[in-house]
Amino acid sequence: MNKWLRENAWRHAFAIFMCLFSLFPLYLVVLSSVKTGGSLALTSFVPHEISFSNYQFLFHSPKTPYLLWVKNSMIIASTVAICSVVIGASSAFAFSRLRFKGKKFGIQLLLLVQMFPAVLALSAIYVIMERVYAFAPKIGLGTQAGLILVYLGGALGVNVWLLKGFVDTIPAELDEAAKIDGASPVQIFWMIFLPLATPVLAVVCLLTFIGTFNEFILARLFLVEMNGRTVAVGLQQFVGGQYSTNWGPFAAGSILASIPIVIIFLSLQKYIINGLTAGSVKG
Amino acid sequence: MNRKRLGVLGALTAAALAVTVAVVPGAHAANEIVIWADETRGPHLTSVFAAKGDWVPGYTIKVVTFSSYDALGAAFDKTSGTTGPDILVAGNDWVVASAKSGKLAPVTLTAGQKSHFTPSQFYDLSYQGKLYGIPVDINNVSMIYNTKLVKTAPTSFGDMVNFYKANKTALGLKAGLCISGGGMAWGGLSVFSALGANPYQMYNGRPNYHYTFDPAVFASNVKTYLLDANGKSNGFYPATDTGCMDNFLAGTVPYSVIGNWHWKTFVDKGFAMNLMPVPGAKAGTYGQMFGSVSGAFLTAYAEKHGVAVGAKSLLVNFFASTAGQVAYEALEGRPPAEKGAQSSPLVSDAQKGFGQAAGLSSMPQIGAFLGNNSGGANYWDSSGAYWTAVLVNGKDPLVEAKKLSKMWAKNVAAGKGDL
Amino acid sequence: MSGFVRGKFAFGLKLVLLAITTAVLALLTESAYAQKEYLIGTFILIAILALNFTYLTKYSIPLKFFVPGILFFFAFVIAPILYTGTMSVYKYQTGNYLSKPAAIEQVLILGAQPDAAGTTFDIVVGKNSANQYAILVSDITNNKYFISAKTSRTPVPVSEVKLNADKVAISAPGFKPISLNVLASNNSYANIRYFYEGKYYISIESETVGAVFTQGLSYSESTGIMTNLLTGDKYKDNGKGNFAKIGGTRDQILSPGWRAPVWFQNYTRLVTDNRIRTPLIGVFIWTIFFAGFSVLSTFAFGLLLAMALNRRMRGRKVYRSILILPYAMPSIMSILIWAGMFDSQFGAINSILHTNIAWFSDASLARGAVLLVNLWLGFPYFYLICSGALQAIPSELLEAAAIDGANPRQVFRKITLPLLLQILSPLLIASFAFNFNNFNLIYLLTGGGPRDTLDGHVAGATDILISYTYQIAFGKNIQDFGLASAISVLIFILIGSISIFGLRRTKVLETFE
Repeated sequence: MNKWLRENAWRHAFAIFMCLFSLFPLYLVVLSSVKTGGSLALTSFVPHEISFSNYQFLFHSPKTPYLLWVKNSMIIASTVAICSVVIGASSAFAFSRLRFKGKKFGIQLLLLVQMFPAVLALSAIYVIMERVYAFAPKIGLGTQAGLILVYLGGALGVNVWLLKGFVDTIPAELDEAAKIDGASPVQIFWMIFLPLATPVLAVVCLLTFIGTFNEFILARLFLVEMNGRTVAVGLQQFVGGQYSTNWGPFAAGSILASIPIVIIFLSLQKYIINGLTAGSVKG
Repeated sequence: MNRKRLGVLGALTAAALAVTVAVVPGAHAANEIVIWADETRGPHLTSVFAAKGDWVPGYTIKVVTFSSYDALGAAFDKTSGTTGPDILVAGNDWVVASAKSGKLAPVTLTAGQKSHFTPSQFYDLSYQGKLYGIPVDINNVSMIYNTKLVKTAPTSFGDMVNFYKANKTALGLKAGLCISGGGMAWGGLSVFSALGANPYQMYNGRPNYHYTFDPAVFASNVKTYLLDANGKSNGFYPATDTGCMDNFLAGTVPYSVIGNWHWKTFVDKGFAMNLMPVPGAKAGTYGQMFGSVSGAFLTAYAEKHGVAVGAKSLLVNFFASTAGQVAYEALEGRPPAEKGAQSSPLVSDAQKGFGQAAGLSSMPQIGAFLGNNSGGANYWDSSGAYWTAVLVNGKDPLVEAKKLSKMWAKNVAAGKGDL
Repeated sequence: MSGFVRGKFAFGLKLVLLAITTAVLALLTESAYAQKEYLIGTFILIAILALNFTYLTKYSIPLKFFVPGILFFFAFVIAPILYTGTMSVYKYQTGNYLSKPAAIEQVLILGAQPDAAGTTFDIVVGKNSANQYAILVSDITNNKYFISAKTSRTPVPVSEVKLNADKVAISAPGFKPISLNVLASNNSYANIRYFYEGKYYISIESETVGAVFTQGLSYSESTGIMTNLLTGDKYKDNGKGNFAKIGGTRDQILSPGWRAPVWFQNYTRLVTDNRIRTPLIGVFIWTIFFAGFSVLSTFAFGLLLAMALNRRMRGRKVYRSILILPYAMPSIMSILIWAGMFDSQFGAINSILHTNIAWFSDASLARGAVLLVNLWLGFPYFYLICSGALQAIPSELLEAAAIDGANPRQVFRKITLPLLLQILSPLLIASFAFNFNNFNLIYLLTGGGPRDTLDGHVAGATDILISYTYQIAFGKNIQDFGLASAISVLIFILIGSISIFGLRRTKVLETFE
């Protein structure tokens, strides 16, 4: 019992503390989603009346095809997440395992360009996609395809660093053995690296998914069609009004929107946490 | 690479090319008028045009609805010509910058068309003497009081403060008067004005360039009504608008300034639409509010898209007509700008109530003055800063009022050239 | 599995994918050139060549891993940066937004002056007896009717025209009206200036209304001089993107202007313009502190949590699911909730503490609040990353150390932490960069404030470089994209050098030797 206390008590205490810290603001979001007023401010910690009108509004108002938005978000975010992982993983593999000129320069450049203030690069992206729209309306401004393309521009960025760190921890003996068997780098990538890196790919996939799911600054410029919007853009309409903001439906929508992310996290948890890397060397 | 491989590749490429030719669509139609609007106006315009689409014979009308007013602004700021709208429906505060940058195109109205509107409304939509759009809806605020708490309409600012002081503890009041609609700068003008500070003044329908508000009078009013004996806020007027509406609805704030776009919320909650301007320090006077109009603007892109005449015709036939504004405002719920539509029975009493309150005491919102920051900061930033400085940080109301008065006068002088 | 990657099927699949991509891109190139988007067209062409060359030859193995990523990276990351860099040497702001030819066109359009009375007529568009576009004009006030074409005006006696109830002529002999539906599909009639009298012409204002104008400005291509035909004033390119009156004062310019190259003027303004320069240093120091502290705090809490939960224990799954929540909630929502919580009047924090503190009106409190909120937003990310990274550390290493008698604290300090730092230092640096430019947090939470606006201060206590730039560059009604670009480039250079320096100090780059 004493040992249990020493070893586990602080863990539980700290975890519970952080959970409360995490939950407190979220409790207020829930609170504002079940009240009828339009603001986020607190009138009391206990709701006087619980009203689901904000939730009903999301699902029944013709102004808010909420389920369609969720579907759009899922499609866009998963496409981007999967493509990003493939692009990021292949680049990380090359950076970690292959020899070529300009490697050091390349990886520094990747890190460096992420430091560019994105708020300002936005105007340039708009102009580029506006021009693309002029000759290819299906992939230019105002389309989901165009938005996905723009998001993929970031696929090489931070993911490569994250992935490379893990590729480095995969023992080199493994792919050397494969090389002796006559496997090409491409084959090593597909057959040895990808399976081994599943946990970290899952993490990258999840992070990219969440990031894309919640992105609205670019998306609100691209997805103007009511039925083509993502959740993040759709919910904007309650809070970015000319003179008014309507927090109730926004809070309700945000809570619902975070549910798929939590579900995905839970279902990938096994991959994220269980280390395959260490195990594979033994097995 | 051998020849066979090349052959296979060539054949595949050709096949794929054939498929894609069918997929890539043509450019946008030559006689389609594109309107950009925000999240509330867009859907209503769409419905109106779906019900009746032949406002301009031969043209189709496409409404692009942005997810928010902010998003609409962010996109229009960035347009460089290819995908821009032919008509933009937006607030008048965009006129100066957009016209100056050559993004809007001037419209010329006949005397008959002009007679549908009050001349001051055109003021809001002009830049350097040229008109860029048609007034669509009136945006204003009004004060409302909770009849469950307050039995009679206040006649002066002091009335309200006295009520607050007398009933603060008994009724559990959290504040006396707060801004539910339009924010501390736009919606809160009436409070400034009621206590004696205006950013500019109109005289005979034109700006009076000799006007600056008297900081001494204003500061003494602030001291009398909003501060306690120690120079701290007495809690009557909060320096932020956060939570105002909820507290008003919950009965913990007796007076509130509300916007004409959310009167429905209050009606649904059972409040009487006892609308009035904010009463002034002297009984019988009122604080002025912004009575601004949103407009339908002709953009410079309409010309490039080859629909300039169509777009102008739509402005005249739909936006500047009684029939058009009635059809639209019946859905949108703001007071229409057009005279005929204002008296239409289809327009609700609450809409009219706001119109009457505005008629009692309002001033045009002149973006060239308000957005100017030659004095150090523009109206939008400096007005909120005053309340924070005085009510929150306990700074001297007179010292700060002097700064404010100087700043606003400079902004007006500098903005003169843009009118 | 190996057959899948090695065999004919894999090769075929590659070929099909490549062919489809090539076809799509080729088509795009073609239409890009057709629309005169040469730059983009050429880029796509290069993409085609690069893809085919890489995947059909064995010239470079590494490229096979990189090409798609590089193409996206170039199109949507590098190109916007280059564009922004280019714009930093232009006067590109409200009033100077268009290209020069477009601005001249616009100035000339605005130069059309209505006649003194603002005369407008009811019109019908059609063709005259010579089969030219013409308008049948009804001057109802004077009871006169005439047909106007580009160069001529023919009066029509009242007796010959057919009038409607409003006394507007709807047809006349020799005049063929065109229906509105037909007009809509062909707008060539719209830009014709129909002759009125002298220098005055009738311009079509809507399908049934014409207005009398005279062209007030004329532009000479050869001399580059814009002349006001009514007053005789001459205007010349002032080199700053506007036509300025020759011999006039500085503000006698024509609107709109155009983006004019001003070379390093935007950069020198950073030094010479008092309003921009003075607060820059204070803001810079706070930005560094903010970004640094945010990285340290989020990393520390994330790591501690990851270690606390890095073993089998009851409730672990529940903890994990809750801890991911701040990250799963859209950040705009949570930042604004926090802003509401800190509100002095109705905020939750004051309610709990039974205080009445104006959190965002005091510099230190506001800064503390910003750091706290950023901790809340950021620790789940590092918790996730650290959980993964802890797993990546070979357990043999830790077991060996434990057998050697090291206590857990020593194991952590000597083995776990250094290894983690080696794996994660690029992410720490990236996180530093992210926070350095964490615009949303500052903008939505405090708006950069508190700031002594009434004393003319532009920078607030919590303003970081990016929000400060935004304030100057995109303030209400005045947008200066050129200046903003210059500051961006400056920020880029600053943060870039800090990061590269940081990177050099860690041993990360050595793994690339």
